[in-house]
Amino acid sequence: MSGRQLVVHAVPVLAAGGVLVMVPFLLGGSPYGLRIASLMLILATYAVAFNLLFGHTRQLFLCVGALAGLGAYASVILVRDAGFPPLLAAVLATLGAALLGGFLSYVGVRRGLGVLFVGIITVAVSLIFHNLLLGLREYTNGETGISTQGLGFGLGEAPTRAYYVLLGVLVSSLTIYQLLLRSRYGLAFRALGEDELNAELSGIDVTRYKVGTAALASGLIGLVGVLYADVNGFISPSVFALGHVDIPVLLALLLGGIGTTLGPVVGAGLFTLVDELVRPFGQLTVLTYGILLVVLFLVFREGVVPFAGRLLLRLGRVLLPGIPREARAGSGRSPQPAGASEGGVGRSESAGGG
Amino acid sequence: MTGIVLDGLVQGLQLALLSVGVVFVYGLGGVLNLAHGQVAVSGGLVAALLLQSRWPPVLACAAGILFAGFVALLLDQTLLRQAYARRGEERLLLGIILTLGLSFALDGLFTWRYPNLALTLQLSSPYVRIGGIVVRTGSLAVAGLAVAAFLVLLAFLRGTFLGKAIRCIIQNEVGAWLCGVDVHRVRTLTVALSGLLAGVAAVAQGFFSYLGPEMGTEFTILSLIVAVVGGVRSLTGTFLASLILGLVNATLSYAVGTYVTWIVLLAVAASTLLIRPEGLLAYWP
Repeated sequence: MSGRQLVVHAVPVLAAGGVLVMVPFLLGGSPYGLRIASLMLILATYAVAFNLLFGHTRQLFLCVGALAGLGAYASVILVRDAGFPPLLAAVLATLGAALLGGFLSYVGVRRGLGVLFVGIITVAVSLIFHNLLLGLREYTNGETGISTQGLGFGLGEAPTRAYYVLLGVLVSSLTIYQLLLRSRYGLAFRALGEDELNAELSGIDVTRYKVGTAALASGLIGLVGVLYADVNGFISPSVFALGHVDIPVLLALLLGGIGTTLGPVVGAGLFTLVDELVRPFGQLTVLTYGILLVVLFLVFREGVVPFAGRLLLRLGRVLLPGIPREARAGSGRSPQPAGASEGGVGRSESAGGG
Repeated sequence: MTGIVLDGLVQGLQLALLSVGVVFVYGLGGVLNLAHGQVAVSGGLVAALLLQSRWPPVLACAAGILFAGFVALLLDQTLLRQAYARRGEERLLLGIILTLGLSFALDGLFTWRYPNLALTLQLSSPYVRIGGIVVRTGSLAVAGLAVAAFLVLLAFLRGTFLGKAIRCIIQNEVGAWLCGVDVHRVRTLTVALSGLLAGVAAVAQGFFSYLGPEMGTEFTILSLIVAVVGGVRSLTGTFLASLILGLVNATLSYAVGTYVTWIVLLAVAASTLLIRPEGLLAYWP
């Protein structure tokens, strides 16, 4: 990769980071606003990981909440009951989540399970995890949950610092995502998205790429779970439930755009906005999630980021008639921002209609 | 102990009513309906509302069952139609995401609008003795309802042209088309039928204990487990799996508690998918 390309690909990540760095100043130190912004960063990072899983390797992992919960509970219990230092506990918990995700993916690939069956199995895993949390009362306190104050890095007491730590994690994960897509993994992802059998036949080790991606993404989810426990100051089974984590993550990714770099971030921002608007109405949030999911998947599967990209490109073409039709900066295989959904799930929309 | 086994069997019968719908809709259209439990609950809630406004119980239940069928019909005409327009994996994906969204929407609607509504149907004498065993009349009512519904269903599948068409499509969609079966119409009919059966299951839940607005997810998960274990294209398998899981549920809940029971049931479903994806008890008679 040439230096110029490196700069081109760094632009979206830097732009997102730059905007998000300003947020605490714009909020003027309001603790409530800062908390919402931190939760948005957490959602965005989950969505980046889920994008790798679902958008690029077609593994519908409906156990994001369970993986995050595993990270959170494992780290807290290791510190509280086994006396581990927080950093070591965090590393072990992250590794645990990565192992579980890698294992689930391995089983799925080996048994040749399609999207549907991977979805069912991971839902089953989520529900099993939820019931384990409720059942193993002596460790988890059941539904009451655990207060994590004094068990982590003390981010719960320093909201601004927590925000920047979470931002650091998000920007790092976006960077890793970009590097991954420019590497052999990116090529493999696109081949996988087209046709798995053909990819395997042309010498791509499908098992390795899928399992590797799943382990990486699950580890990231687990790490965010660890940080969530610390930032939130409290964990309970319900904060990691399917409807609390997985559905928002799916919605954020659909809103922003599957298979894009900035989609998860933009989607998480939009989702947080919508969520704040309907929050006063209590149970209406669940209703809104459901309707959003249906509407987005039916009529706006492309997402905001690719849509805005196309709009900008069209605008640019009107203002500067010199831009060629395939205006893909430099490398010719950059999904940013125009032809965004390469190899992602959105692509099959044109192939499947009929 | 006999009481628990009996309870388990009756629960299994009710579970079978619920799960047949999931199995049929998946077998016919390749769409896994994740809103099936919510369809059932909608019927139960309508029955409860009508009971509150002093309708006679039989009429209220019948109206509830019909309403569940109507909701399923609506679902077919709006969301499932979008999924049927696609092929292969795309259809599976669209099917589960759309019905997952719908299940959340309905759950939200029910718990928001009717948080305290519940369907309970009490019979005049709570217990009867049959052959030395004390049986709850509620259980008897559920068993009677389920067996009657199944006899009608079997007669329909074996005896009528439509029933044959349904079995034909499950075996081979293209073949059915070529023989002149209107696949779309039969599919719509089957989805409505699955809704009616779900409505019966919801009413049965009212006899058994009570049915609340938040129980849709539980129903969906249970019927999903049954469909997975029983073989998602097989009626006999579904029936057997329902009875076995009903028994397991009742005995384990008694012996070790609900959490462990749920974990066992879910683990059985997950490992079935890994060991025998076509279903543990699957074969088409």
